[in-house]
Amino acid sequence: MTGIAADGDASLGIMMRDVIVRWAPLLVLAFLVLLFPVFEWLEDFRAGQDHVYLLDSRFFSIRNASRIAVAATPGLMVAIGVTFIIIMGSIDLSMEGTVSVTAVIFAFAFLALGGTLAGWAWLAIPLAMLVGAAMGMVNGLIHVVFRIPSFMVSLAMGFVGTGLALVLTGGDRIRVEDELFRALLTVRWLNFPIMCYVALLALLVAWFIQSRTTLGRNFYAVGGGEELAQASGLNVTRVRVLGFALAGIFFALGALMAVGRIGIAETATGNNFMFISITAVVVGGTALWGGIGGVLNTMVGVLIVYVITNGMVVIGLPNWLQDGVLGALVITAVVLSTNRRSISFVK
Amino acid sequence: MPDMTREFLKPHFPWITLVALTIIVGLANPDFLSISGLISLMADVVPLLIMALGMTFAIYIGGIDLSVQQLANMVTVMTTVYLAQYGIGVALLVILAGALFGAVSGFVTTRLYVPSFVSTLAIGFIALSIAKWLSDQRALFMDATLRDIHFGWMFDTTMGVPHELVLGLVLVLLAWFLQTRTSFGRALKAVGSGELAAVASGLDVDRVKILAFCISGMFAACAGLMFSVKLSGGDAQLANGFLLLAIVAVLVGGTPLTGGVGGVINTLIGTLIVMVIRAAMVYLEVDATQQQMVFGIVLIIAIALTIDRSKLRGVVK
Amino acid sequence: MYELRAVDKHFPGVHALQAVDLEVRRGEIVGLVGENGAGKSTLMKVIYGAYQPDGGEIAIDGKTVRFQNPRQAMHHGIGMVFQEQSLIPNLTVMENIYLGFEDRFVQFGVISWRSMAAAAREQLAKVKLDIDPAAITSDLSFAQRQLVELAKVLTLEERIDGDLVILLDEPTSVLAEDEVKLLFRIVRDLTKRASFIFVSHRIDEVLDLSDRIYVMKDGRIVDVVQRDDAEVSVIQRKMVGREIDKEYYREQKQKPYNPAHVLVSFDDVSLPGAYHHISFDLHAGEVLCLVGTEGSGREAILRTVYGLDSCSSGIVTVKGERITRFSAMAGVRRGIGHVPRERKVEGIVNGMNVYENMTLAQLRRFARLGVMNVPEEKRLATRWTERLGIKTPSITKDCGGLSGGNQQKVVLAKWRSGGSDVLLLDHPTRGLDIGAKEDVYEMIREMSADGVGILLVADTLEEAIGLSHTILVLKDGEIQKRFDGTPGSKPSLYDLVHHMI
Repeated sequence: MTGIAADGDASLGIMMRDVIVRWAPLLVLAFLVLLFPVFEWLEDFRAGQDHVYLLDSRFFSIRNASRIAVAATPGLMVAIGVTFIIIMGSIDLSMEGTVSVTAVIFAFAFLALGGTLAGWAWLAIPLAMLVGAAMGMVNGLIHVVFRIPSFMVSLAMGFVGTGLALVLTGGDRIRVEDELFRALLTVRWLNFPIMCYVALLALLVAWFIQSRTTLGRNFYAVGGGEELAQASGLNVTRVRVLGFALAGIFFALGALMAVGRIGIAETATGNNFMFISITAVVVGGTALWGGIGGVLNTMVGVLIVYVITNGMVVIGLPNWLQDGVLGALVITAVVLSTNRRSISFVK
Repeated sequence: MPDMTREFLKPHFPWITLVALTIIVGLANPDFLSISGLISLMADVVPLLIMALGMTFAIYIGGIDLSVQQLANMVTVMTTVYLAQYGIGVALLVILAGALFGAVSGFVTTRLYVPSFVSTLAIGFIALSIAKWLSDQRALFMDATLRDIHFGWMFDTTMGVPHELVLGLVLVLLAWFLQTRTSFGRALKAVGSGELAAVASGLDVDRVKILAFCISGMFAACAGLMFSVKLSGGDAQLANGFLLLAIVAVLVGGTPLTGGVGGVINTLIGTLIVMVIRAAMVYLEVDATQQQMVFGIVLIIAIALTIDRSKLRGVVK
Repeated sequence: MYELRAVDKHFPGVHALQAVDLEVRRGEIVGLVGENGAGKSTLMKVIYGAYQPDGGEIAIDGKTVRFQNPRQAMHHGIGMVFQEQSLIPNLTVMENIYLGFEDRFVQFGVISWRSMAAAAREQLAKVKLDIDPAAITSDLSFAQRQLVELAKVLTLEERIDGDLVILLDEPTSVLAEDEVKLLFRIVRDLTKRASFIFVSHRIDEVLDLSDRIYVMKDGRIVDVVQRDDAEVSVIQRKMVGREIDKEYYREQKQKPYNPAHVLVSFDDVSLPGAYHHISFDLHAGEVLCLVGTEGSGREAILRTVYGLDSCSSGIVTVKGERITRFSAMAGVRRGIGHVPRERKVEGIVNGMNVYENMTLAQLRRFARLGVMNVPEEKRLATRWTERLGIKTPSITKDCGGLSGGNQQKVVLAKWRSGGSDVLLLDHPTRGLDIGAKEDVYEMIREMSADGVGILLVADTLEEAIGLSHTILVLKDGEIQKRFDGTPGSKPSLYDLVHHMI
């Protein structure tokens, strides 16, 4: 009898741990959001100034929240795209190239079609998304047809993308100055620029795809057990190729946001997206071996990464220290949000 | 019969690709094949080679090391800052630092269960922080006399062979020796090809993995040292752009990410393939803006040719 | 309704199925029993379309059919409930049930979870499983997953017109007693909708559930028994067939062990969920066999001795030293060798050659300052290759390319050459042909003559009886009975089975 009771306790403990692990990314985010104001409070306290914790915080303010949101939007789009791929147990490293190409093609098409959203230039938006989808599809096709691991294919495709952007621009920057398009950043509803709402909409669409469409569910099936899925009659090849195409579309959205944010499209538009997005996905609790996690996790992961970066600036951490602290915090966040029971190997 | 030949040729695809590429470029532009030209090309690629050699160990056990570029950055700064103080001893210092960072990556990966993709990236950020702190975020320059006294030998030549090339080859030999002749190398192979069997044979798998990252860190430090001496300075961004190239060199040489296959010699070949492709674009006068795109396309073809799919166990992800 | 007529299947060197006739009538539950290696799993694969027979034919309602793959078999109403869990753990129950067939719930590209859940609930009702169709599969118990698999197969009912034949492959191996009863009740109810072929090694269960029982041995159907005439002992005798051949197990070479020299000792050792209150001594030169059904705790005991699992209470002693820290590394250092059941995954390293595999557990002995002495390794490998008659073109050949028997010899050589004097053999002859099996038996005798203590989990009961000095019968993690295996007074198969189930 004692044995059964002990087992019961153990399973209760495991359940508790499961719950904590499931919510760990959100807890980490909440902790960080409450942590940075503490530093501000300490500083003012030392200086002998009045400071009500949270209320007087520069970090914990709508203004700063909107700053974080704007900074995070392009990264969020890219990270959502790569989330689908990671759920399948693959990886896509082509985002930097794809973002650059789609940004540049969008800018050229936009200018060629009249340069204002009021005219035909809006067509540049679906065009950019098509280009993104095409890049992703090529990526996926090479991956499945030639049976080359996605890591290698997408890495090389990233070079092709960045290279293509360079060929198109010849190294120049293209300015997109249409006021209507820039309204993404400049017009604010409830203190947040429109692009944040667009990103939220895209997140909802991604969540919808993930949870309500056959394709989205099939990503999980492939990631959870590719051979079993194949045995159940799933066309795994098709799922994979479509997955990469879908990721390409979200990379293109990321490019649009990036251009909307700074008003410039160039070869370097895609820089730094690779590590930020994959780190954010992992920090959010999506497992690199596939099958676990999702776009909502990714949103939390992206916010964690950008909250850390922003918070360090706000509390005035020396610039040189920021990268290191980010690294250490990322490791901590991943350690906290990984369920060790479900890991057999970590490579 | 064609199957048999294919089966037989498979392990040789990487170097056949290298030779074929060299010949093609040579035919298109005979200048490419001049001995002195090739030697100087190879001397230029030595830092990349060293970095890729280290990366080989991480990939050989089925992991990856994304910290190498930042480690090299940090080492360029360390070398420049401490050259006056320690002289040639700075080499020892930076290699120890590389080993330490690698060991930490390995520890975080094996004991804290953080995938190496993230752990090494994060450890790289920490190295970057140290580089920025030491350099005060400025580009530093070495004292030319001190540099020549302590490291001038690195860029001399003996009978037309640059010493840095010799150094690179010595490191290849060292890495090759580690991989093929030592008990560590054997354990590495066992962990890479069959982790479960390695555990069941009583190997200390965690230690082997930590050591692999440690070695990767040491080689990255060597690469950084060479950069720094070559460019006579240090900077927290000096080695940027080398990470992806190092990964590419390993992959194109035929060491897939699944581990246990390929190795140091493959990486040597892979680095040379990368070198030939890049040099070829100069010799064949590919427009500068098109080079990166061409590089990517040729890369896909090269990987498709060199990868031995029968050794990719299980599903291709 | 469903018929196999004189079905033959050959594999290189093995005649796996010989003129097998089998018939399933509508609404019938047919049992299939046989020892490991009797051909049950091959026969099942032929039935559900994973293998194509070399001879004979398959007929449904008198019409000859041929299946290229399991999917085609499904279209003819043949479904399989796998022994290994074939559900994808991270998906919900309903997604698993309808995986690959979601189309009927999709409207304008959107899955209607509501209609899928309703349909899934209907399927689950067929197997009397009252769980939320949206539950994550990995949260279910084994028994529930088994029923979900059954429900998944039963969706065939809606997709095809004809009759259903459902294969149940060892469905009870991970279930508790009351769960088994529940499953049987459900299967009996379902005979209104489908016929079943029930495969199990638990003869009493087969007798309990089946209308007729086919007994297989050496790739043949040796008898068909009606339930009413069936008796456990008769069926067992048919399964085993011939008298145990003393020569086969090298019984004349069985020497008494040294009772004064204890190598491994368990004193009241328990590991919750695996085994309880286990005590035994393994002596030098002794072959001690753990006998029991799957899940009776035999493997877990081996893992504890080796150090892969720890125990929660009791005292484990190896060569006089009490073990407190359990690790495979320490186990190897103490001279324990482990021949795992999963030879290809845990036994040999696929991708390393013969000599590399042989020295893997003793790298230190062949390294000076960390540098391997390869010529010495090769000498050792050559010596052992000759000694054990390992058939390989060269000792530098990849072990993954060797036959199962030769791989097993490499694994045995790995431990023997390293001087291990405690060997844990987990199904050492699984999947080997007769000749290779005899080689392994020969080696076991040689080792025990050398004073090696061997802890054995045998592939068959005959093997266990033939080889061992001592037999411990386990059931549900507890030792039921200890038998002495001295030649001449060995227990009979029926003695063992009596205590196993």
